[in-house]
Amino acid sequence: MPRLQWTRATCATLLALVGALSLTACSDDEDNKPDPGGPKVDAGTDAGTETDAGTDAGPTVDTGIPWDGGSAGDFSCEGKTQTTLNFAPGQEEALQDQVNTLVECTTITLAPGTYTFDNAITIRQNGITLVGAGKGAKGEGTGGAQSTVLVFTNAAANSNGLDVVGNRFTVSDLAVWNAKKDAIRVESSTDVVMRRVRTEWEKADNEKNGKYGLYPVKSKYVLIEDCEAYNAADAGIYVGQTQYAVVRNSVAKQNVAGIEIENTQYAYVLGNTAQDNTTGLVVFDLPGNPIRGSDIRVKNNIITGNNRNNFASVAASSSTVSQVPAGTGTFMLASRRVELTGNTWGNNNTVDVAVLSGLTIEPNPALWAAGGLNFASADVYVHGNTFQGGSGDSVDNGNLSPQLRPLGAALAALYAYGETKGSLGVEHLVWDGVDPYGHERTQVNPINICFVENTLPSGTGNVIADLDLVAAGALVAKGNFAGGWALTRHYPADKAEFNCAGFTPALTIGDNIQP
Amino acid sequence: MWTPFVNPRLPVVLLALSLAACGSSDPENPGRTPDSGTPVSDAGTGDAGGCDFDNMDGGSLDASVPIPNALSGFGLFTGSPADGGLVPVEGNVPYTLSTPLFSDYAVKSRTLYIPPGRVAHYEPVAALDLPVGTLITKTFAFPADLRKPDQDVRVIETRVLVHQPSGWEAWPYVWNPEQTEATLATGGRSRDVTFVDLEGSTHAFKYSVPSKNQCQQCHHLVDDAGAQVMHPIGVKARYLHRTNTYDGVERDQLEHLAALCKLDGLPAPAQLPKAPDAFDTQAASLDTRARTYLDINCAHCHNPKGTAGITSQLFLNFDNASVFSLGECKRPGSAGAGVGGEFDIVPGNHAESILWYRMHTEESGKMMPQIGRTIHHAEGSQLIADWIDSMPAKTCK
Repeated sequence: MPRLQWTRATCATLLALVGALSLTACSDDEDNKPDPGGPKVDAGTDAGTETDAGTDAGPTVDTGIPWDGGSAGDFSCEGKTQTTLNFAPGQEEALQDQVNTLVECTTITLAPGTYTFDNAITIRQNGITLVGAGKGAKGEGTGGAQSTVLVFTNAAANSNGLDVVGNRFTVSDLAVWNAKKDAIRVESSTDVVMRRVRTEWEKADNEKNGKYGLYPVKSKYVLIEDCEAYNAADAGIYVGQTQYAVVRNSVAKQNVAGIEIENTQYAYVLGNTAQDNTTGLVVFDLPGNPIRGSDIRVKNNIITGNNRNNFASVAASSSTVSQVPAGTGTFMLASRRVELTGNTWGNNNTVDVAVLSGLTIEPNPALWAAGGLNFASADVYVHGNTFQGGSGDSVDNGNLSPQLRPLGAALAALYAYGETKGSLGVEHLVWDGVDPYGHERTQVNPINICFVENTLPSGTGNVIADLDLVAAGALVAKGNFAGGWALTRHYPADKAEFNCAGFTPALTIGDNIQP
Repeated sequence: MWTPFVNPRLPVVLLALSLAACGSSDPENPGRTPDSGTPVSDAGTGDAGGCDFDNMDGGSLDASVPIPNALSGFGLFTGSPADGGLVPVEGNVPYTLSTPLFSDYAVKSRTLYIPPGRVAHYEPVAALDLPVGTLITKTFAFPADLRKPDQDVRVIETRVLVHQPSGWEAWPYVWNPEQTEATLATGGRSRDVTFVDLEGSTHAFKYSVPSKNQCQQCHHLVDDAGAQVMHPIGVKARYLHRTNTYDGVERDQLEHLAALCKLDGLPAPAQLPKAPDAFDTQAASLDTRARTYLDINCAHCHNPKGTAGITSQLFLNFDNASVFSLGECKRPGSAGAGVGGEFDIVPGNHAESILWYRMHTEESGKMMPQIGRTIHHAEGSQLIADWIDSMPAKTCK
């Protein structure tokens, strides 16, 4: 995944700032020479004229089918022979052999206890249900009388825990422990259910942990509910390149990204808890992917205290989340038609909600061609949420790295200066001000971000920021903090241009799903 | 002269190739008696003039090949590693590849069985078009010391690709410690392996026999409907166009198959494609050798019809002419954290090239290929490093 690169403020540059403002010293290598070509703020140099004004999500909007959250694909087990296979701890080898010759519509029942595997459980059949005795509790690497734990600690390198391609797949009531790669990967499947499942790695803050916990990808009609995901080195709960997904009543903690909705169309993210991650609950599109994400409803989630240092943020990384500053509650990048309502944000040290252009990670619009030039963010409706406060007061926990986490470094640089001008920290909602690329600055809200009826801490000043990041970042990278800060804009919650009622047509995803 | 890295093949004791032509079906394991009725047109000329191709492929599709619980049930071999050699029966043709896939330094032997009355059709680029009923075997073994490749050889597994009427299937068989029989292990197995390499260093690792379903991770092409369809990988003309010893006589493998009336449409030798031995510096340019290595080791997934290729848009097939999709200054789709750099290939700088890094590392989650490798291929990663470093240096943006 591309690196954020709209600014390459050098460590030396930031150190100057750091020295002046007594921030934590940055720890980058001293040999990062200033870029002779000046700051790389070449975000989409030729995208301006082609970019839609952003107040809608394209010429036609399809709000999707009235999905009730259940099976909606073609494959069904009704009227077919149903087979059940029962296994107990100690029968791992027999289980593996049978898993590779399953007939369709087989239920595999795993008795309570601990199962130890040396390879992935690879399922390539339709209509398979895998059910244990319970997911156990956080920290439990062994099964008990009422839990089934699948242990992959000594499994083959690169292997997933469950690796599934099959329609009508259900996994429930078990835990996957220490998978080498992804704990539960379900790919190219229709009608997928993950229920009361826990994915966990034993060690916290370990970059070598598997990347994803619950990982449905390139799939359709996905339901994740009552699940838990801990210590993933990328995302605990990830829904990617998928159409129609529900993630609800689940818990994601101690991951780099708690819950991640990527290149996905029609997602309903309801009633989850994302705490103690580097970033809590994120929505974005990546370049080069054919699914243009849209119609994402994020409702009644708790997204607080996501301040875990980014443990995937190591040198020579190409992943997106490895570049996210600690303390980012929610960010949306290259996303459109996103509704955020009934959620609670608070104590996210960098920012509660950020809206970013895809050009910040891949400035070449041509590389967004697969998804229909889906780099711009637009139509973000933030209403009826609670902002508890305590956020935006310690960007990236003060642990800044322009190379590894440039967004955090730039935010810190700007707001460190801003504090000297009376800013009280990063606002609850930050927009990078990039889309539509090259828009007139007289346009206050050209991408239709609506921020209404949210509960804010008493005494809140400005709530919304437009960072004009390309221009401001360029100045900051040259050491001109005053000039950079002067380009940014800061608005109170009642700023008229952001007092709007969402977008048309409104989302329907979730309307037919029973709580 | 015996250089397993350059040209791995099973030791003589194991394969006993010179005995292959003498082998008849083991009376205790009748299985199929592959071609008792097939004329062995052992025409030394290499032409296929004696074959009645018009009368092949004419019959209706066979019933499915039954999958036995023991490898011996196929009747493809006589003997066993324990009694001096696993000997292919007549009609089960041993072959080697000019550059093989690396599999943890395992030495491999391969056989191709095409049923009587059937014939494979030549393909210039794709795998040979093999008829229903074809069986391909690949046997993986480790000598205790790669410097003494024919001593203390332990055979781990034999994989059988079966061309059923419904398509290809892959079945793994794992050899018992006594080396007398291999048993179907559809779930795959894990085996502790130790060997001494050519430098005298000891490698101890957990060798993973893939499960049946995992075979498809490499052995597939995505069809027009988006479904993965299983395919063989190695049996391509460019890798097969090389000599082997049959009946004590050296001959080209493709011509040998044609002479057996098992391959039609074979063009004249001058028109045959040839992939070099990637580690024979005399055989081809560095670029060609590196591209050959990537083709056989990576391109079964990293091609425009492989799932990983489709996802990553990184195409390492030898005939990909786009330097960008070959990885030059290409940002990866989802290579993850800590993979050496930001671009798949930074010309002139292998150390910052993700392609090299992921081939070189032994770290789970970062290493490539996804399965089939636990330890790194020193010679292979050096080849790719040399290749990248030989490119005119370039700064990627």
